[in-house]
Amino acid sequence: MAPSASKTSIAREKAIVYITGESPLVEEYAALGSAHGYDVVVQWNEDRKRDKEYRRSAIVPAGTSIALELTNTDLERKKRNLQKLDKALPPTAAIISSSVTVSASEQATWIIHRHRLAGCCALPSFSAGTVIEVAPTVYTPVETMEVVRRFFTSLGKHCEFVEDRVGMVLPRVVCQIINEACFALQEGVSTPAELDTAMKLGVNYPRGPIEWAEAIGIRQVEAVLRALERDLGEDRYRVAPLLHQMALTGEWWNRNPREGS
Amino acid sequence: MIKHFGVVGAGTMGAGIALAAARSGLDVILYDVNDTVLRQALERIKADVKQGVARGKIPADQVSPIVARIHPRTNLSDFHACELVVEAVIEDLRVKKDLFRHLETHTKTSAVLATNTSSLSVTAITSVLRRQERAIGLHFFNPAHIMKLVEVVRTQATSESTIAFARSFVHHIGKSPVLVRDTPGFIVNRVARPFYGEALRLLGEQVATHEQIDRILKQGAGFAMGPFELMDLIGIDVNFAVTQSMYDQFFGEPRYRPHPIQKQMVDAGRLGKKTGAGFYTYNDTTK
Repeated sequence: MAPSASKTSIAREKAIVYITGESPLVEEYAALGSAHGYDVVVQWNEDRKRDKEYRRSAIVPAGTSIALELTNTDLERKKRNLQKLDKALPPTAAIISSSVTVSASEQATWIIHRHRLAGCCALPSFSAGTVIEVAPTVYTPVETMEVVRRFFTSLGKHCEFVEDRVGMVLPRVVCQIINEACFALQEGVSTPAELDTAMKLGVNYPRGPIEWAEAIGIRQVEAVLRALERDLGEDRYRVAPLLHQMALTGEWWNRNPREGS
Repeated sequence: MIKHFGVVGAGTMGAGIALAAARSGLDVILYDVNDTVLRQALERIKADVKQGVARGKIPADQVSPIVARIHPRTNLSDFHACELVVEAVIEDLRVKKDLFRHLETHTKTSAVLATNTSSLSVTAITSVLRRQERAIGLHFFNPAHIMKLVEVVRTQATSESTIAFARSFVHHIGKSPVLVRDTPGFIVNRVARPFYGEALRLLGEQVATHEQIDRILKQGAGFAMGPFELMDLIGIDVNFAVTQSMYDQFFGEPRYRPHPIQKQMVDAGRLGKKTGAGFYTYNDTTK
C-alpha cells in the first residue's frame, strides 16, 4: 500500500494526548505530558484500580491529536492497541510508539495509515533524560517526524533521530551491561551489591547494573534482549539464565541446590 | 593492623598506590630496579600531593610528611619486614611470575603478596608461590591515589584470613573493596565491555553516529562520558587490546568479540587523544 502523505499536526493549546501501554511507562509519560500542559488520557494494558491522577478511558477521546503506544513486553497486545488507535484516530493524528522491542517499520505494517507512525525509545526510568531517540519508519514522511520532534521538544526533550532498529541505542547498551552483570553473577564472580559498587566507583556509572535492572524492570530488560536476539540472530544477545529466572520469580538468588531444604 | 607496606614497580600505578597508602599514614617501601624511574615517581608523587593541596583534599602541612613516608629502594630484601607487598610491574606473565618467585624469598612467611594486574590471571601469576594461600589480587584503578575502588581478587587457593587482611588494608587506606573470584576482567573490565562493544556495533550498523551515541548515553542515561569519548581518552589501541584479551581468555565467547572498527582505527594510527585524532579530532587546546 502506498503511504499517503497526509498532514499530521498537533494543536499546542489543550491538545489531548492519549497514552496506552504498560505500567510504569504510561504513568511516567502521563506525568510528563501533564506537567507540560497536555490534557492526558490514559489506558493501561494491565487491569488496575482507577487511577485518581489521570483520566482513564478505553475509548480514544475525540479530538486526540497525538497518541503514544508504550508496550514493550506483550507484542500481541501492542499490535491490538495500535490497530485500535489507527481505527479510532483521524488520519491527521500521529502515533508515537515505543520501538525498543519491535521495529517501528514492522509496527507500521500492522496498521492502515502507516505514514502516521514513528518509533521512540521508551524504557522505564529513562524518561528523566533530556534526550530521546526517535526513529522514522520506511513509511514516515518528514511531516510526521516534525510533529514528533515538536511534541518531544514541548516536553523539554532533545530528539536524536536514529535508524529504526530494535534496541535502539540506549536500551541496547544498558541492557547488555545488565545481561553481562547477570552472567558474572551466575558464575559467582561477585555479589549484586558489590557488582553495583564496582561499576559506580570503578568507572563512574550513574547506577550499578543491578540497580538499573530494578529501575527499568527486569521483564523489560529481558524483552529488549530477546528482541535483539531475535532480530540480529547473534549468540552475543542470548539472555543470561539468571536474568530470565529473575524476570519470572523476582528473586536474584537461587538457593544452593546442594544445601538441602 | 599493617605497619610495613611495600610496592613493586614505580610506574603510574605503583606510584599511585604508594601515595594512597602514605596518605593514610603508612610507611611505604617503593621498589624499582631503575633508580631513575624511582626519582621520577617521587617527583610525580610530590606533584600529585601538591595538586591535592590545591584542590583542598590534603592539608598543606601534610605535604612533607606524606612524601617522607615513601622510601625509594632498589633492593628486594628491603621488603623483609613487610606484611603486605603489592606488585605493579609491566603486564607480562613471565615478568610477574619471576618477580613473585623472588618476592617470596625476600619476604617473611606470613607476608601477603598481591598483584595489581588488570588483565592477567591472578591464579597464573601466583602459581609459582609455595604459599599460595597468602596470594591475592588487589586491582586498583587509575589514578590509584584518587579512585576509590579496589577489586580484591581471590584465587581458589587464597585463604579466608588473607581475604580479610586484604579487605581491611583497603578500608585502612580509605578505599572500597569488592571481593571478586579470579575470572577474566574481574568485574569492572568485564561488565564494562558492552559499553564499548555495543556502541561500536551500533556505529558499524549505522544506527547512529558516534557523536549521537555519546550524546544519547550521556544525556539520556547519565553516563559521565560517552563510549567514543572514553575510547579516545583510554587509547583505542589499549581498549582494543583489552577486548582482544577478554575474547581470548573466554575462548571466543561472542559477547567479547572485538569490532573491525577498532582494528581499522589502530591500523590508521588514530589511537585517540594521545595521537591528536581518534573518533574525534583534537588540537592542543581542546579535550
